[in-house]
Amino acid sequence: MEVVSPRTLEEALRLRAAEPGLMPIEGGTDVMVDLNFDRRRPVGLLNLNEVPELRGWSRDDGLLRIGASLTYAQVRQRPLADTLPALAEAARTVGSPQIQNRGTLGGNLGTASPAGDSLPPLLIERADVELASVRGVRTLALERFLLGPKRNALAADELIAGIRVRPSGARQTFMKVGPRNAMVIAVVSLALAVDREREELRAAYGSAGPVPGLVTASTGERETFPELVAAAAEPIDDLRGTAAYRRHALRVLVGRALERCWA
Amino acid sequence: MARLIRTEKEVEGHYTEQWIVVDEDALDQWPAGPLQTVGKPAPRVDGRERARGEATYTADIQLPGMLHAAVLRSPHARARVRSLSLSSVLAAPGVRAVLEPGDSHVLTDEPGYHGAAVAAVAADTFAQARAALAQAAVEWEVLEPLLDPDQAVEKGSLVSEPNVSERGATERGVSEAEAVVEAEYRTQTVLHNSLETHQAVCVWESGRLDVYISTQFLWGVRATVAEQLELPPDKVRVVCNFMGGGFGSKNGPGEYTFIAAELARRTGRPVRCALTRREENLATGNRNSTIQRLTAGARSDGTLTVLKGDYVNSVGFEGWSPSTGGPMELLYACENVRVAEHGAKLNTPPNAAFRAPGFVEGTFGLECLMDELAARLDLDPLELRMRNYADSDLVDGRPFSSKNLLECYRRAQPHWARREEVRARSQGPWKHGMGLASQVWYGGGGPPSYAWVRVGSDGRVQVVTAMQDIGTGSRTAMAQIAAEELGLSLDRIEVSLGDTSRGPFASISAGSSTIPSMGPAVRSAAADAARQIVEIAAQRYHLEERVLSLRNGHIVSADGGSWPIEEITELLGEGQILGKGARGPNPTGMRTLTFGVQLAEVAVDIETGEVLVDRIVAIHDVGRVINPLGASSQVEGGIIQGIGHTLSEDRLLDPGTGTVLTQTLDAYKLPTIADVPEIVAEFVDRPDEHLTNLGSKGLGEPPIIPTSAAIANAIRDATGANVRSLPITREEMLRALRAAREREGLERTAETVGEVRSA
Repeated sequence: MEVVSPRTLEEALRLRAAEPGLMPIEGGTDVMVDLNFDRRRPVGLLNLNEVPELRGWSRDDGLLRIGASLTYAQVRQRPLADTLPALAEAARTVGSPQIQNRGTLGGNLGTASPAGDSLPPLLIERADVELASVRGVRTLALERFLLGPKRNALAADELIAGIRVRPSGARQTFMKVGPRNAMVIAVVSLALAVDREREELRAAYGSAGPVPGLVTASTGERETFPELVAAAAEPIDDLRGTAAYRRHALRVLVGRALERCWA
Repeated sequence: MARLIRTEKEVEGHYTEQWIVVDEDALDQWPAGPLQTVGKPAPRVDGRERARGEATYTADIQLPGMLHAAVLRSPHARARVRSLSLSSVLAAPGVRAVLEPGDSHVLTDEPGYHGAAVAAVAADTFAQARAALAQAAVEWEVLEPLLDPDQAVEKGSLVSEPNVSERGATERGVSEAEAVVEAEYRTQTVLHNSLETHQAVCVWESGRLDVYISTQFLWGVRATVAEQLELPPDKVRVVCNFMGGGFGSKNGPGEYTFIAAELARRTGRPVRCALTRREENLATGNRNSTIQRLTAGARSDGTLTVLKGDYVNSVGFEGWSPSTGGPMELLYACENVRVAEHGAKLNTPPNAAFRAPGFVEGTFGLECLMDELAARLDLDPLELRMRNYADSDLVDGRPFSSKNLLECYRRAQPHWARREEVRARSQGPWKHGMGLASQVWYGGGGPPSYAWVRVGSDGRVQVVTAMQDIGTGSRTAMAQIAAEELGLSLDRIEVSLGDTSRGPFASISAGSSTIPSMGPAVRSAAADAARQIVEIAAQRYHLEERVLSLRNGHIVSADGGSWPIEEITELLGEGQILGKGARGPNPTGMRTLTFGVQLAEVAVDIETGEVLVDRIVAIHDVGRVINPLGASSQVEGGIIQGIGHTLSEDRLLDPGTGTVLTQTLDAYKLPTIADVPEIVAEFVDRPDEHLTNLGSKGLGEPPIIPTSAAIANAIRDATGANVRSLPITREEMLRALRAAREREGLERTAETVGEVRSA
C-alpha cells in the first residue's frame, strides 16, 4: 500500500484533491484497526504526521485554534487542560497511555464514532471544526459536522485542519461508564457545563445515540435537567450495554455532574 | 526399587483406578525449620531471558522452508457442507497444499459449532494462506442449532450419562432443617485467551515427526499424535521450551497439530499452524456456562442438614461434563448431600479444562448459597463455615493426608474483623462491604514422573527432565529443590526441560500437579547424586559416608571438616555423576486436597451498578511452599483471572444463530491492570507429612476458585443484594439491587399484614 507523506498543508491539500481515495491518517489508532481487520481497503494512506500546520495550538483574542494533530497526551497538559478541563478529563480516559500518545483530536473527529471520547467535551464548548481544501477554509459547528455513526460532513477533497473554540470558562466535567476501568469504549459518556455567565446548562452525551448529542437548558431547570438529557438520548442495545441501562446511567451521571459543577 | 501397585489417579477431579509401576520413595521429608533455598523467595531463573525476548516460544520457531497454514472454519453453529471446491485456493499465489474433510480426522463437513475446522491450506506466508482461503467455494446447508441447555437436558442431548451421587437421605435432611434456602445460580462462558495462541510447527524427517507446540503436556501430545498417526511413540519428538499460557486449554495436541502434520507430510516442508486471536476466541475451548439449582438446609445453630445441587453444564458440541457439584460434596460436614450433574451437548464451541474446571463455577453457587443461609439464620458467615467443618472426607470416609483449613480460617479472622470498618466507609451511593468464600480442590499430583540430575567436574548441576514450564515458574522451583538437596546455591543449577528426546517422562502440567508430581522426582534424583558425591568423598578423605553431608557448596563432616565440593567433582575429569529419581506413590487410603479462604472488600455504586474490588486477602493451604515469590504470583494471577470471570468476561453468542459475537479482545473484556485490587497472599506452609518426600501440593488452580463467591458475598454485605449470575455487569448489579428492594418491600408488607392480624 502506498503511503504519501506531505510536508506542508498546501501539499497535503493538493494530494487530497488529486486522489480522494487516499485515507488520511494521523495516530492510526482507528485507521490501523480497520486496515488490520480488513474493514477498509484504501488505495493508499495520506500521512499527516509531517504537516507542521496541523500541530500545536494557539490563542488569539480569546479564540483557541487547536491543530488536528494534537494528541490526547497533549490535551492533558496545562495550560490547555485548564482552559478545556472536560476535554482534558476525557483525554485521560482514552484507551491506554500508548493510545493517548498516538491518538489525535483530528482523528477522533474524522472517525466520528458515537463513542468518540473528545466529542462531548467539544460539543459543550460549542466548538467549530476547521475544514481545509484547495478551495479554501470553512468552519462548521461540530454539531453540524457530525452526521451519523462514523459519518461526518467532510467533503471528498477536504482535510480536518483543526478546531476553533472560544472557551466558556464554565465549570465542567466529563464522565464515562465502561465495563472495566481502562481500555474501553464507553457504554455511555457525558460532558456537562454549568455556565453561570450565560445562565445555561449544557450536556453532551456519547454512546447514547447515532451521534454525540448536545442538550441545553437554563440554569433554572437544574432539577429536571437529568431527565431532559436522558429523554433526548437515542440509545440502542448492543454488546456493551442495553438502551435502558444507558438512559438510566445518563440520568445518574447528569445528576452527579450537576452536583460537581454547581458550586 | 520398582513396585507394581494398584492406585487411584486424579487429574482435574477425575479419578481412575489403574495399575502403575512406581519407584519407592525412600527419602524422609526435610526436617522442620527453615531451609537454605526452599521456602525462600527466588526470582524466576529465566526471568531475564524472557523479559529480554531471548526465550524461544513456539511462536518464535523459524525453520528453513517453513510454510504457514490457515484454517477454514464453519461460520455456522450447525451446518452441512453441500459442496466444497478448493481449486481456486490451490491456484492462489504461494499455496503449496490444501486439506479438505476426509484428509484429516480433525476436518469435518458437518460442523456442529461456529469455528469447527473444515479445510486448511499451507502457503509460503500466512498472509497468502489467509488470502487463498477467501477463494474457497463453499455451499452450506445451514441447520437449526440446539443452543438451550435446559432444552438439551430435556431432550437427552448429553455428552455423557448424568452424574448423580447421594449420601445420607436428603429428604430427611430437608425435614430436619429449620431454615432452607433455595436459589438458582448461573455462570457464563469464559475463555482462556492465553497470550500465546494455540499453535504447532511440524517437521517430518526420515519417518520421524518433530512437533514444536505450545503445550501443557509434552508426553500427552507425543502419545496422542503417535496413536493417531500410527507411529511408534519414539518416532514423535515434542518440544516446548517456553510457553505463553494454557490454563487447561493446551492439555492435548489440538486440531492445529494434526493440520500442520498432514500439510508437512504432503509438502515435505515444515509447517506452522498458529491460530489467530479470533480463532483463539472461537475454537480453543472454554469454561462452560452453568445453571445451578441449589438447596441448603440447616438447624438454627447453623448445622447443615442438607445440601442439594442440580447442575447443568453447557458443555458444547464435544467435551466433558466437569465436576460442578464437587465443592458441595467435599467442603462441608453435611450428612445428606445429593448432586446431579448434566452435561448438555449443544451446537456451541466445545469446553476445555479451565483452571479448576467445575469447581470455580460450583464454588460460586455453593459459597453464595452458604452466605444466603447465614443471612437467613442471622449467623456470621465465617462462623457458619467453621461450624460445618469437615474433619474427614465424607464422600468415602477417608482421612485427609493433611487439612489446615481451620488454620486458614483462624488467619482470616483479623482480616474479617475489619468488616465493620469497611462498611463504615460507605458514603452516598457508594456502599462498602466484605465477603469471604472457602476453597477446596485436588492438587496432590501423582506418579509416574522421573528426573535426572547431572553433576559435572566444575560442580555445576543440570536437572534433566522432559517436563514443561507453562509459565508458572516450575523451572525455578525445580532448581530450588535440587539446590536444597545438594547444598548448593541456586546459580549453580540449570534446568533442562521441554523436549521429549532430552529427558525422561514427566507429568502433565494441569490439575495443579507440576510441583507435587515433579518436585519429589527432582529431589530424589538430587539425593541420588548427593549420595554418590558423598560416596566418593568418603573414599577420598578416608571417612565414613554417614558422617558426611553437603552444605553451602561444601562437603562437611560431623567432626568439623569442610571441603569445597569441587575438590571431589574435579576428580570426575570428563565424567559426570548421574542421579536418577522418580515420583513415589501417593499415600494409600487417604484423600489429598488443597484448601483455602479468600476475603474480598468491595465498593458498589448502587446508582450506576459499578462494582470496584478494593482488596482481596487469600490464605491457602497447599502444604510446603517451595518458592513464596512464585506462589504469590500464582495467587495474584488466579485472583485477577477470577475478577475477570466475576465482573467483565463474557463469551456471547447470537441467541438466534449460535455464532460467537465476542471474537476480539475489544469485545471480550479481560481485566486490565486498572481493575486489579490490592492482593494479599498468605500461606499456611506446613508440609503434608503423608505426601511424598516434599509435602507440597499444587497451587495453580486454588487461587481462582473462591474469588467470584467472595466478591459476590461482599456485594451482599455492602448492599443486601443477592447476586446470583456472572458476570456481575452494571446491569446485572442493578437488577439484583431492584430484586432486593422488591423483596424488602414484600417482607415489610408481610410484617405489616402480620401486625394487623395479631392486632
